[in-house]
Amino acid sequence: MRSNRLRPRGSLFIKYFVTLFIVVVVPLIFGAVGEAWFGYRDQWHRLDEVLQAEARSAAGKIQTFTDGIRDQLGWVVQFPWTQDEVDRHRIDPLRLLQQVPAIASITLVDQTGTERVFASRLRLNRIGRGLDMSTDPAILGARANKVWYGAVRYQRDSEPYMKIAVAGNLAAAGVAVADVNLKLIRDVVAAIKIGKTGYIIVVDGSGRLIAHPDMSLVLRGVASAYDINRLNNSLNATNGAAVVTTADGGESVVAVSVSVGDPGWNVIAVQPISEAFELIRAALWRFLILVAIGTLITLALAYWLANRMSGPIRQLEDGAKRIGAGQFDHRIAISSGDELEQLARRFNGMAEELATSQQKSERINRLKRFLAPQVAELVEHSDELLDGQKREVVAIFGDLRGFTSFSARAEPDQIMAALREYYEAVGAAITRHEATLIQFAGDGVMVLVNAPIECENPAHRAVLLAIDLQAAVQRLASSWSAKGYAMGFGVGIAMGPATVGTVGYEGRLDYTAVGNAVNLASRLCASADDAQILLDPIVAKQAKDSFALVSLGERIIKGYDRSLEVFAVAHSEIPAESFDSGVQSVELQPNLVSIVGPDL
Amino acid sequence: MAQMRRRDFIALVGGAMAWPLVVRAQEATRLYRILWVSTQSQPDPFLDGFREGLRAKGYVEGKNVVFELHYAPGDPHALHQIVSELKHGDIDLAVSSGPATRAMIAVTDVPVLFALSGDPIALGVVKSLAQPGTNFTGATFLSLDLAGKRVELLKDAYPELRRLAVLSNTDHPGEQSEWQATQQASRGLGIEPVYVPFFGANEIDDALTTAASSHADGIIVFPEPVTLVNRTRIAEFAVAHRMPSMFGWSEYCEAGGLLSYGANQRATYFWLASYADRILRGESPAALPVVQPEKFELAVNLKTAKLLGMDLNISSILFRATKVIQ
Repeated sequence: MRSNRLRPRGSLFIKYFVTLFIVVVVPLIFGAVGEAWFGYRDQWHRLDEVLQAEARSAAGKIQTFTDGIRDQLGWVVQFPWTQDEVDRHRIDPLRLLQQVPAIASITLVDQTGTERVFASRLRLNRIGRGLDMSTDPAILGARANKVWYGAVRYQRDSEPYMKIAVAGNLAAAGVAVADVNLKLIRDVVAAIKIGKTGYIIVVDGSGRLIAHPDMSLVLRGVASAYDINRLNNSLNATNGAAVVTTADGGESVVAVSVSVGDPGWNVIAVQPISEAFELIRAALWRFLILVAIGTLITLALAYWLANRMSGPIRQLEDGAKRIGAGQFDHRIAISSGDELEQLARRFNGMAEELATSQQKSERINRLKRFLAPQVAELVEHSDELLDGQKREVVAIFGDLRGFTSFSARAEPDQIMAALREYYEAVGAAITRHEATLIQFAGDGVMVLVNAPIECENPAHRAVLLAIDLQAAVQRLASSWSAKGYAMGFGVGIAMGPATVGTVGYEGRLDYTAVGNAVNLASRLCASADDAQILLDPIVAKQAKDSFALVSLGERIIKGYDRSLEVFAVAHSEIPAESFDSGVQSVELQPNLVSIVGPDL
Repeated sequence: MAQMRRRDFIALVGGAMAWPLVVRAQEATRLYRILWVSTQSQPDPFLDGFREGLRAKGYVEGKNVVFELHYAPGDPHALHQIVSELKHGDIDLAVSSGPATRAMIAVTDVPVLFALSGDPIALGVVKSLAQPGTNFTGATFLSLDLAGKRVELLKDAYPELRRLAVLSNTDHPGEQSEWQATQQASRGLGIEPVYVPFFGANEIDDALTTAASSHADGIIVFPEPVTLVNRTRIAEFAVAHRMPSMFGWSEYCEAGGLLSYGANQRATYFWLASYADRILRGESPAALPVVQPEKFELAVNLKTAKLLGMDLNISSILFRATKVIQ
């Protein structure tokens, strides 16, 4: 039960979570995706620029490298092949080898295309071998364009070499052909670092790798060609713009290609994508962490809110259950300072009103004991009606004749059955005439008219009621006599001022009347014969126009100084079929006097 | 274009998500064991060069790399025993210096780095220079190519050269080819070569005696461990017999030889360490090309020239020298 109370309601929690998630995390996602996209575009532009710049710078350096060799070669083709220049032509190549480490060998050819000097780092130098080289493409190329660059080839399938031929300004100076070991470009390329992991590679026009920071890839010769060709092709397809591709080893890279003018090579600047977009990646990770934190906060917040809501809701639910079960004194204590507290307050108000209305209905039920239901309702809505006051009332007393002897002879269940029938008949008549039942006491009954509710012509109503009572009880009496009980019914009516109001103590309240008229009615009842309705002069005077009354003459009434003229309702007024003969023994007993007090 | 960019962008975002799964090549604090086999003797300048190269790559000896050194000065056969006992797992990499490589041929399950003066294809340890295709890779010094060049340079420095003693250890791989290249070059230059062979360190004294009695006016010494170990003696011998001398590596020249022409050994070993690093990181030697030197040192010892009473200023040697010892 306890844990149940603590657990937030599932649906409420989910609703809060979804709402908060949308509010907190979704904008975060949009922000991050937008930032990543724009960051990516910016970074792409920046990368393109950086790689272009690095590639151009590297291309410049490589151009300088080849230009350097070209220029150095230019030195050895300045003088014509005259007799006095032979020594110079012998020494110059050796000096060139000393000067330019990348040149592995050099061949000097005179204007006729004949090899005159050959100097090499590895092989034996040759002077004046006289080999005819006039059809060599290097010689032809150099003669045509001053400078000629040969194709890259892998010596012993491994080391990249290239021939460069330079013709002198004077045709007589001949041509110098140098075999250049391109491994030395490595020194140019390896020094270039783009960022931390970016690098430069150099390939020739046909995709042969010339330089790579990892020299072993170059030395692998044609075996590296596949990867390099693929990279080269994907770059050629984009006209030199930056492209994402895979480099050797399957790594994703961003690459830019720039061509080196003279040898017709391509310099490719390569940046692994892991570094190129490191910042964006870091931002994405930051964002993921933020989303995770946001989600956690959302969860916690949703849990807290749902808990905050479900606690009071449970209290309200519990309260509603208790109040529904009739526990109207139950109060819901919520002090959240919000609508829930207001709701709880309303709830408490409702319980209070329910309690009041229940008390009221209880009171009405009590009133209904001595008032007709409609009267009771009326009285309930104006409390002052029940307040003690002096009032002109008509008191009606009725009493069974011969009940004492019957009760002495009969069995208790017979007595109770008879009384029940009697009360029902009397009660029905009182209700019908909207009179106030004050009390049943044994075989006696006391009824008031004009209190607490005033009515028109109370005397008339009282007489009508008395006639009804007589008729009803006489019908009972005839059925009783059939069973062998001889009982009659007498009624006394008096009118006059009396004090009316509720008396009693907690839980037991009675409405009653105190006054002469009450006593008089009781006395009249006592002196009435069976089937007789005795009236005091006041009632008689008011009812005489409506009913046939018979004056019974002056009578001495106990407790009264002087005699009083007593009237009886003529028998003709009482419905005939209710009469039965044979009720002779009438016991006159003023057994209701005790009700109205000992002061009489 | 924009469409392609969007695709790239999405790929990038996808890649970013997968990022933490990419295990960074964390340098394990593993201890690598390197076997060093050599037919030279200590102190070994090549080992120093290699160690220096490893240090430059961030290795600390004793912490993440240890050396197991095996020297069999001038006697590659002594290494066979060690090599035959080599088992996979004992060491991570073997480095063989010079002819010691010949003793390593039988090794097939441990990567072997070599630095050879001869031709590794001829030796049968690699299939091609570009792609070795075996557990061997390393560097070759192209001694064969340089053999003739050395004769030419000696002739340039000493044009009077007519009879040339050729001191050659027949126990060295490729020695015959080297001798033939020398012979050919000598003939072309009008020099008569006198072959002075010897077999291993034990015969070096006899060889020098033979050379002394060969009436040669110059001497050329093939670069290999036995002569390297005995370089000072040989250099002094040459001066004593008034023979301009030509050697393969500058170490000889520094020890008193007149001239040397060849690749820088120490630099090669320094560079070899970068291949060692790559192999220790897991690369296969089969795909690492054998490297050839592109720079050659011409060393000239002017002190020796003075002792020999030579005036080198009249020749083209001095301006071609990369290293002049005074």
